[in-house]
Amino acid sequence: MVRKMNGMKMRRKLFNTAKPFDTRKTEMRFVRAMRENCRFQYENCPAYRKICDSFRFRPGELKRPEDLGRLPFIPTVNFKRHKLFSVPEERQLLQATSSGTSGRYSTIGFVFGDLWCGLKMVLKIGRWRGLFSLRPTHYIVMGYKPHRGNRTAVTKTAFGATLFSPALSRTYALKYSKQKQAYEADLEGVITALKKFAAPRAIGGRGGVSGFPVRFMGFPSYTYFMLRQMEERGLHLKLPQGSKIMLGGGWKQFYKEQVDKEELYRLAKKTLDVDEENIIEFFGAVEHPILYCDCERHHFHVPVYGRVLIRDVDTLKPVPIGQTGLVNLLTPMVKATPILSVMTDDLGVLHEGRECGCGLDAPYLEIIGRVGLKDIKTCAAGAVELLDEDTATKS
Amino acid sequence: MILTSGKLYDSSLQGEILNGLERKINETRERETLQAETVIAAVEVLREKILSGEFDERIDKLADSGAYGAENLRGQIAQALELLKRENLEYKLQVELGLGTGGPSEQKSTIRTHVLPLGTLFHIAAGNMDGLPVYSVLEGLLTGNVNILKLPQADGGLSVEILLELLQIEPGLAPYIHVFDTPSEDIAAMQKMADMSDGIVVWGGDEAVKAVRRLANPGAKLIEWGHRLGFAYLSGYEDRERELTALAGHIARTRQLLCSSCQVIFIDTEEMEEVYGFCQEFLPYLQRAVDELGQREEETVGTRAEIALRRYGDMIDRVLAEGPQEKKAEKRGVYYGRGCSLTALPDSALECSYLFGNCLVKRLPRSRIFTQLRRYKGYLQTVGLVCDRDRREELTELFAACGLVRIMRAGSQSDAFVGEAHDGEYALRRYVRMVDVEL
Repeated sequence: MVRKMNGMKMRRKLFNTAKPFDTRKTEMRFVRAMRENCRFQYENCPAYRKICDSFRFRPGELKRPEDLGRLPFIPTVNFKRHKLFSVPEERQLLQATSSGTSGRYSTIGFVFGDLWCGLKMVLKIGRWRGLFSLRPTHYIVMGYKPHRGNRTAVTKTAFGATLFSPALSRTYALKYSKQKQAYEADLEGVITALKKFAAPRAIGGRGGVSGFPVRFMGFPSYTYFMLRQMEERGLHLKLPQGSKIMLGGGWKQFYKEQVDKEELYRLAKKTLDVDEENIIEFFGAVEHPILYCDCERHHFHVPVYGRVLIRDVDTLKPVPIGQTGLVNLLTPMVKATPILSVMTDDLGVLHEGRECGCGLDAPYLEIIGRVGLKDIKTCAAGAVELLDEDTATKS
Repeated sequence: MILTSGKLYDSSLQGEILNGLERKINETRERETLQAETVIAAVEVLREKILSGEFDERIDKLADSGAYGAENLRGQIAQALELLKRENLEYKLQVELGLGTGGPSEQKSTIRTHVLPLGTLFHIAAGNMDGLPVYSVLEGLLTGNVNILKLPQADGGLSVEILLELLQIEPGLAPYIHVFDTPSEDIAAMQKMADMSDGIVVWGGDEAVKAVRRLANPGAKLIEWGHRLGFAYLSGYEDRERELTALAGHIARTRQLLCSSCQVIFIDTEEMEEVYGFCQEFLPYLQRAVDELGQREEETVGTRAEIALRRYGDMIDRVLAEGPQEKKAEKRGVYYGRGCSLTALPDSALECSYLFGNCLVKRLPRSRIFTQLRRYKGYLQTVGLVCDRDRREELTELFAACGLVRIMRAGSQSDAFVGEAHDGEYALRRYVRMVDVEL
């Protein structure tokens, strides 16, 4: 029986928290919002209920922060195999999908209230990080150009990020080719645009005429490759003051080539004259649409809207702060889909907030790798198929 | 890199070389038949060279490169050297190809049967075992065949290096060895190689075998060495402590990656309580075995995390697949160790485990063995049989009747011996033809 719920009062309270990193002081508020969300999912999503029942878990058991560890979590891979919704699809305002590098992707539905909370969150975090500006800006999107057939969250958020300030232009690094019916990289186009936007006194006599700041948004890997190419060609530009490089969307297939962040900062300074404090990194997944934005020391502090549990790689039980394990992300933001506790395939560590030194005391998450098997040689039937199955879940 | 008729060529010349290959092969086969003794003598020299330490530096370099896993490589070389002894090769030929002579009909008949090579073999080797591509070619050479070898993508250069060494020792083998590094996607090239061959030898999983079946003409002889599944069966003990230790040691040592590795431990019972009880009892044995081996390079935190995640994700899938009316008749039990685990499941399916010391435990009473295991015909290979003494004969017969081809004791499921059959067959026999000739 579907019970009518009131409008997620506890969630509203949590997302109305004045300071976005008052994480420690909002523990109980968070637990109450989670209990409220869990109860809604339990009563409206039969699949979620089955999962809870199989663990003999009832929403009412969420009473204290330490109870969050017992809340059944759902790995992102299961969202790829099953569409799980708690609100009928016709009542969802929006659906977003993960990139689906393996050909399979998760579909996450949102209702108005979910997006409303998301908007509040983006406004608060954006304000904290100084992302909003009234100065018109040229945007370089190091990601996909929106296209009808592309429903991925990463495309939507990259586009969303071009709304932080009035956009004069948008240049995309990945364009959809109608002929090939696929996306193609166009780094040359980006470099040409940059030359146009760079300040007139650019080194080497290459001058721009615009004078308006430039903002990058998109995949760190593409951004890094572009900067490296510019360095190799000896291109040194000076972007106007107020220019920023925003990175998000994960390292995708270049994960193995994950560069030292310091190297990226060095390249950005050298080729575009953008200082480290103007490089901002985001982290997120469609299955956990909380905006993780780094602090000035480039650490991902956990905002009030979510919590992170690190779980043991053998037993999947929560481990104490400071230990490496699987990253389990929790949030009561979304009502339409039971994503209140999802397990990523990232490996990470949670650190005490004060170790950062930026002034925030909310703990911060460091992603240190990803689950996976290295070149395995086997002649056991089915093993290769098992090992090949891609569990990529990054959005 | 391409190796043909004793010379190395760049991969870009593949088209040209393939166009002329059949003519060359025909010339060779018209002219002569390769004798096993030529191959055995060459292998003997190569073996002595390796034993004398001539290749130690290169082996060390390969081991250090990380492409093969140092201990693994050395262990495998030692095993290979034993197999390649002259007397062992001769024995293999005799056992696998030996024909009875002097039988009652022979005395009266004027017809004699000769063992001749199939002709040209096209080997599609998998990268799942180091040295396998060379071994496959060697079996082809021993039986006198011309060999076309398509290297696996993950070969790392070892195969060509060994074959080049062999060719230096015996240049007469050159017309019988043609190696291509063709990628598996290049269907057209593989089609050509298949078309000029009398037999196609394929190593690999279901996907590889299916791909070759699509490639081959109806008249081609397919020699498939597919992947198999191993398991253990428990029905009482002769010596509980020793047998459980041996079983755990084998699971840990082979990391469940071999065809003969134990993926599932079946218990002779219908009661899940007994399955849970076994898990509880066996987990400390498995933990000890895993600890004794120490952490392997491959089993990083990432591997363990991946396995734990898959196990959990599968469990969620199973929960979601249950109908709403189905009461959880059986609880699902995962018994966690560090770097190992046992998962108790209520079904009796033979399936691949989560590998690396993460074994499945299921119930399978004796009365259901036959019908249950018959479903996996084509995949059955080794059973590690643990049972009390007076049941061994009966269970052995039953497993043999089901289609198992290795019925071993716990712990020795993967032990090799000279003259053993491969997946229930004498490999060399598949690479030859029997030719009857009337005198």
